[in-house]
Amino acid sequence: MNLEALQVEVHNLIQTDQPEKAEALLRPHLAGGVGPIPLWRQMAVALRRQGRMGEVKQIQLMLVEHNPGDLTARFDLSETLLMLGEYERGWREYQYRYSLAHTVAIERKVQLPRWSGEAMPGKTLLIHDEQGYGDTFQFIRLTREAARRSKARVILEVNHEALALARRSLPEFEITARGTLPPRFDVHCEMMSLPMALGLKLSDLPGPIPYLQPDPARLAHWRNRLAGLPRPLVTLAWAGRPVHPNDANRSISFDMLAPFAGTGAHFLPVQQGPAAAQANITPPGMSSMSLSDEIRDFDDTAAIFCLTDLLISVDSSPTHLAGALGRPAWVMLPFVPDWRWLINRSDTPWYPHHRIFRQPKRGDWPGLLNNVATALREFVNQPRQVL
Amino acid sequence: MVKMSRSPNVANESANQNMSIPEALAKANAHWNAGQADIAEMLCQRVLAAWPGHPDALHLLGLMAHAYGNLDVAINYLRQACAAPRAPAVYSANLAEMCRQRGLLPEGETHARRAVQMDTTHAGAWNNLGIILQEMGQYEESKRCLERVLTLQPHNAEAHNNLGNTCKRLGELTAAQRHWNRALSLRPNYAEPHSNLANLLSSQGEFDSAAAHAKRAIELNPRFADAYINLAGVETARNRHGEALRWIDSLLSFAPQHAVALASRALTLKKLDQLEEALAAVDRALVASPENAEAHNAHGQILQALGRTEEAMAAYDRAATLPGTATEQALINRAILLMEQGQSEPAKAEFDKVIQLYPGSAMALFNSADLRKFSEGDPLIETMHRLLNAGAETSSNDKMLLHYALGKAYLDIGNSEAAFQHLNSGSKMKRQTLDYNAAATTGWMESIAKQFSAKFLKERAGQGNASPMPIFVLGMPRSGTTLTEQVLASHPSIHGAGELGLMQAIINKIGDFPGNVPDLSPEALKQFGDSYVADITKIAHGKPYVVDKMPINFAFAGLIRLMLPGAHIIHSRRDPVDTCLSCYSKLFTAEQSFSYDMAELGQFHRDYQNLTAHWRKVLPAKFFLEVDYEAMVEDLETQAKRMLKFLGLPWDPNCLNFHETKRTVRTASVNQVRKPVYKTSAGRWRKHAAQLGPLLQALDIAAE
Repeated sequence: MNLEALQVEVHNLIQTDQPEKAEALLRPHLAGGVGPIPLWRQMAVALRRQGRMGEVKQIQLMLVEHNPGDLTARFDLSETLLMLGEYERGWREYQYRYSLAHTVAIERKVQLPRWSGEAMPGKTLLIHDEQGYGDTFQFIRLTREAARRSKARVILEVNHEALALARRSLPEFEITARGTLPPRFDVHCEMMSLPMALGLKLSDLPGPIPYLQPDPARLAHWRNRLAGLPRPLVTLAWAGRPVHPNDANRSISFDMLAPFAGTGAHFLPVQQGPAAAQANITPPGMSSMSLSDEIRDFDDTAAIFCLTDLLISVDSSPTHLAGALGRPAWVMLPFVPDWRWLINRSDTPWYPHHRIFRQPKRGDWPGLLNNVATALREFVNQPRQVL
Repeated sequence: MVKMSRSPNVANESANQNMSIPEALAKANAHWNAGQADIAEMLCQRVLAAWPGHPDALHLLGLMAHAYGNLDVAINYLRQACAAPRAPAVYSANLAEMCRQRGLLPEGETHARRAVQMDTTHAGAWNNLGIILQEMGQYEESKRCLERVLTLQPHNAEAHNNLGNTCKRLGELTAAQRHWNRALSLRPNYAEPHSNLANLLSSQGEFDSAAAHAKRAIELNPRFADAYINLAGVETARNRHGEALRWIDSLLSFAPQHAVALASRALTLKKLDQLEEALAAVDRALVASPENAEAHNAHGQILQALGRTEEAMAAYDRAATLPGTATEQALINRAILLMEQGQSEPAKAEFDKVIQLYPGSAMALFNSADLRKFSEGDPLIETMHRLLNAGAETSSNDKMLLHYALGKAYLDIGNSEAAFQHLNSGSKMKRQTLDYNAAATTGWMESIAKQFSAKFLKERAGQGNASPMPIFVLGMPRSGTTLTEQVLASHPSIHGAGELGLMQAIINKIGDFPGNVPDLSPEALKQFGDSYVADITKIAHGKPYVVDKMPINFAFAGLIRLMLPGAHIIHSRRDPVDTCLSCYSKLFTAEQSFSYDMAELGQFHRDYQNLTAHWRKVLPAKFFLEVDYEAMVEDLETQAKRMLKFLGLPWDPNCLNFHETKRTVRTASVNQVRKPVYKTSAGRWRKHAAQLGPLLQALDIAAE
């Protein structure tokens, strides 16, 4: 088989979720550790699909060593290193996230220098958030450390939806909305470049928890709204933003949560977006009352999380919001998750009250949901404090 | 004050208010600083709608286009901005730099000069003028501009880096290094000075530290092309051509049109004897950048290697006239080509021209030394000594060249002691760049003799390609192979192809040689034979016989016998000490790693003697002939007739007029074969015997 035909066949095998076969097809061409670069790239993908991250790392390190200017390879390596908890080099390689074919156009071309962690008293540092809401909730915790380290006046710029939460929770900073003109500044840093600038290590996590605070008025509103509902109250979210590149892999549908019926918990869907309507049809025997339509913004969601007992969610922004508020969540992850959830552990250093449920094998949502249901039965039977 | 109208379609608050043009422009600048390109652009367009041709709005749009990589659009905006009556100096300075990036050097110079005229204290404008002049080869003025920047801004890391570059071009290596180091102390993560230091350290023979600097530059900026070029240059300088190629390919993987990378790739492939691929690479370079002098220089060198002499000359002519810094190299390449064609006088004139233009050109002095017969008091000797004693201002690579050139000069004068002082220094410097293991070479040649036993050759007889076309002339380098080939190539049926890398390429395919030889199938031997014959047929110029005079093929004579059983092998022999002395006094262009230490050279010759003695025993006399160089010099006709008889060819008197043969010669012997007979060589070592102790000892020859 010629190289091109081989690549096409491997590509098809990977697309049809047969990475083991893809690997077997590639193996002889990479025997002895020598082979064409495109085949090594495909091998890395085939192994990644199988969750064999140690082997993936070795290949990606070799690809980067061989072609340092392949910035896509560097970004792929960063995700692997971060997933393996190798943060120092991981954060460094993560700086190439805006050098990919589909991201190069969305990089914000700030015309002033980027902060690299130095002290600069008297200067002004603009920290600006980037893309997903979850990213902002997860990484906004580094703002205070950045201020302490830089000794600068810090201006924080966040997306409009997170603005109220941020202003309330970080009152000592000037906070502006993304898209508006920030005050004059000298140096800037993307929020997700803060880990690189600060040299963030796993052992630095989680930092002070909670770092986001709910709105007292909203708390009052929702306390009233949720009064008298049977406990424990478990909020549910099962789909991320549909535009996310990995959404098919991370999102499920509401009816798949049927195993949760009969656990004794009372469910409050808080899902936003088009998937919210799926909760209109409740699986048999499930006690559920959707709040999706009543939620106006993240302040409502935050208040709800503070008044309920547990969030069960796929990998989406509510998990980060709950974590930032110091509220417990169970996170349901695909076999190979996003790097921020690391691998081979049922907890996360980012949020001490979170519990991680992973697919027992690739694509096995039913197995995962059964494990969650079992855990949920135990959870229901635990004594708990009434809020 | 011009008021701007409200626009209901504008989403942003700052664009919605009534504001004056200065307010709008201030906002546009602030938004652009904050990376909010949409609003900044919208505000600029609204200013232009109210005041067409407003220079500030045009300038900002130009900066934005530049940041998004649209250089032509950017230049267009800035040209308009600078046409306004009150455009400030900085606009011209920015336009100048954009023109430089676009390769529009003369226009860039005009704008930069305008900028410094408008504001003599504008450091950025002086800096931009300085680097434009540097690229135009006007180093003295470039230096003054950049020094002016440093007077205005002593801590400007970029200016230190740029000034370092200009100093380097001026040959002020110590100053260059100082400025680059200063730039790094001001900004440790600055990739450019690391890359520049790599280049400098490589020329000083400090390869490890040079490579480390280049790799650091790549780590800091993985898309920094110069760092890859310089890293490849380090690997080339230490003869790791495969590694060099790897780095160039790494660069080309993200910059496939990079002309200098393509040109470097071509020259590296040439070193690896892959001339067709080399030509393809340099053709791509010229398509990508038709005005690139380095690419034209590389083109010339490949064409020259392919024997396309006239085209090569045209390529050098083109390289010499293009603006840039490749002129010196182009002129030297021209002169070397003339020399190879036997046009000694024009070559000499050409070298003299280069030396006049570039008085410090060690490359020109070195290459022209072979053409000259030095006599006592020759002013060039003084020049070379002066360069050699210039301390760190002369790179160690240049010093090595000068040692060899002075060695030649003192041999001419007959000052044996001074000659060998320089040759010893030069060879010592060269030896330091090489990995060579003499004991391993001895073992290798012994294993070849053992492998190609009479029994083995008999067992495998009758395989391969039996074409009578190949003629191999082999032996020690400097043993008369060039003369032998010249004599043969003067025969109308024979084409002299020079030193071909074809056998080496086959050995590379075999991998472990001779270890893998027993495993070679009849099909493999046939395929090697077929491919060799096919390759020489392409360059045979229609003649039935082709001479490959690669000396080192003496190690492969057994394999040649198996894969090309119809090939004739002529072993060229010469007095051992004369041969070694001649090797030792030359700096070879191709690698002769054994030749830069007298003891190692002597040992190599002993190994060669043993291996060729073995061939004498096991190869059939019908296909293996030995010719003594001294006998050729003594009586050319007898030896020439003997060779032709061996080849089964009729006598042709042209063979005695070999020095008139109009063909290119491309080895270290180039200037001798043009002289009718070279009798001065025989036994010449005796007058230098006092300097040859380690060599004579290794050869086991008494000095008397």
